[in-house]
Amino acid sequence: MRFVSALRFAPAILVGRIVRVLARWRKPGGGSAIPGVVVNRIAPGFLAATLNGFPLGLVIVTGSSGKSTTTKMLVAILRAHGLSVFTNQSTANISQGLTSALLEQVSLAGTIADDVAVLEMDEGHGAFIARSLTPRVVALTNVMVDQIDRFHDSEMVAALLEKIAARATESVVLNADDRYLADLGSALEPGIAVSRYGVTAEVLAEYPRGLGYADTASTRLPAGSGLQLTRVVGRDADVQFATGIHSIRLPARGIHYAVDALTALSTASVTLGERFSPEMACAALSAMPAVFGRGEMVTVGGKTIEFVLVQNPSSFQLNVDSLVSGTEQILVIIGSDVRDPSYFWPVDTSGLGHVLMASGLKAHEIALQLAYDDVAVDRIEPDVPTALDAFLALPDPTSGVKTIIFSADGMRRTRAHLGLVSNSEDPV
Amino acid sequence: MTATSPDRPFTVVSLLPRLLNTNGDAGNARVLAQRIRWSGHDALVVEVHSRADLPEHVDAVSIGSGTDADLLPARDALRTLVEELRVWSNSGVPILAVGTGWELLSWGIELADGSVLEGLGLVAGHAVPRAARATDDIIVASRYGRLIGFENHARDYVGADASPLGRVIYGIGNSDTRASGPQIEGLTMGEVFCTHLHGPVLARNPALADHLLQATFTRSGLDYVRGARSMSVDETARAARNQVAVRLGHSAE
Ligand SMILES: [Zn+2]
Repeated sequence: MRFVSALRFAPAILVGRIVRVLARWRKPGGGSAIPGVVVNRIAPGFLAATLNGFPLGLVIVTGSSGKSTTTKMLVAILRAHGLSVFTNQSTANISQGLTSALLEQVSLAGTIADDVAVLEMDEGHGAFIARSLTPRVVALTNVMVDQIDRFHDSEMVAALLEKIAARATESVVLNADDRYLADLGSALEPGIAVSRYGVTAEVLAEYPRGLGYADTASTRLPAGSGLQLTRVVGRDADVQFATGIHSIRLPARGIHYAVDALTALSTASVTLGERFSPEMACAALSAMPAVFGRGEMVTVGGKTIEFVLVQNPSSFQLNVDSLVSGTEQILVIIGSDVRDPSYFWPVDTSGLGHVLMASGLKAHEIALQLAYDDVAVDRIEPDVPTALDAFLALPDPTSGVKTIIFSADGMRRTRAHLGLVSNSEDPV
Repeated sequence: MTATSPDRPFTVVSLLPRLLNTNGDAGNARVLAQRIRWSGHDALVVEVHSRADLPEHVDAVSIGSGTDADLLPARDALRTLVEELRVWSNSGVPILAVGTGWELLSWGIELADGSVLEGLGLVAGHAVPRAARATDDIIVASRYGRLIGFENHARDYVGADASPLGRVIYGIGNSDTRASGPQIEGLTMGEVFCTHLHGPVLARNPALADHLLQATFTRSGLDYVRGARSMSVDETARAARNQVAVRLGHSAE
């Protein structure tokens, strides 16, 4: 039985590899999802069987926001503990992309040399493909209402996350400050361990608007019942472990990065069990490079620029609130990815004060909102390259750094025009 | 800077912004208040979550849209304010209701499971489930000019044909299959305006905002004159509307 099943997927794996070579001949550097499409068609069980076969199991990170950063942090912590980790770079076309990525690593017997798999999953795709997966650990970040067209309310997001969490065979790690996740944790099967993490009341009190969750739990995690974030100042944060407090240096400023770090630490602790070392984990987190487009400082033509990516109303609000006051040169680029112009209206942008330029396909829409929030907008320039060139040509500001706030589409256009490579596409 | 006749700031009430603000349509209260300020008068927005929050004077009212999970609590909260809503609507206080906020003012809402949520009965008609959620741009020809916005609703609206807000040029609108003639969008009753154009409909369509403000000012014995700041901001709104219109094959204005 074992002998038969061991080479069950060998023909599909071989076909996938041939397709991969052909796809690269056709379009150098491209076509990465195509082998996955082919293999998924001829051997639909390949993906699940391979993902379920890692010695230390499969870890899934999902939730509305922060999953990408959390996944990268978790992978860094696990690697610092000496583990070999298989992970995905992108959530797009997840099953095809994953299958293609696995084809790079897998032996003809369908096994991979790595110890553990850590996958970031979008809640929609995740709920669909998780039906065939048996993750050892599922980590849940939060429920925020974003992408209103797709997931038009928080109940729907919570229900999708519940489906993914229900696949966990050992542990579910969740954000105790998120009311939907706290409720979800209480309703899980009794055999599944639930690890909770959260911020202290003192930390929460510094964010009168909350942390962006669709609904914040009414109480904080009791001391000693899980990892707690006890302090965040700029890029420095303190985390209370059972054994004491450890400090970390975040890859970017902002409470959401601190909570992502907390999620990664909790998940690493559950995944590694007794092998987990808080010192090693915190050192690994602190050594991570700044994340592109999320508060990263870059230098272009001798000018220092801070990039701030806003992916949903919650992250927009948090980024506005955590911007250094008196920032003098701000460029806002909102692109075609923001389909519904109403999307950002719940955000109070008044804290920006003065914006030099609004750009992107939705330049007029965002300028309109800024105007009603009493933010002065000097110029509306929908063409992103024109706006970038004008913005960079300005002399350095006397206070703050040049700051570009962009949607994902704005980020892509900025990166392309400035010839920058995103480290979100680098191997982690 | 102060209002001359009412020796107090104009007061714009935002009703239930915690429950009814999914798409930022509670921002319409902010739009009205800003345009009043830009016209040289004081204005403030009062968020009303319960009767205890009600201000002494009310000059305009904005009701936003919420999720279906919040329909029942929102309806129950609105019910405690039904007498005020009736007095406001009968005395010409402009009221803008968007999406589910509008549905809750109607006779009722038929839900997908066949049950009916009784509304406040302030405006004619009722909401019925539609096969697929309508989420797209919408263009409406109205007395207040060409209105452009984004619609996002899971129900149609039946029975507004006597006094619609306008005629649908692009999009779904009320989608009342029982009504004859062209497809219509929204409902008006005196100075009560109901629409599926969610989000900052008044910012994107300042002519409609200014109609509401004219009604507000007239009640205070004042004439509304659009402020200088409004004029430049309205140019931005026009550019935003034109971008949608041209993309959908219609002329710029
Ligand atoms: Zn819903």
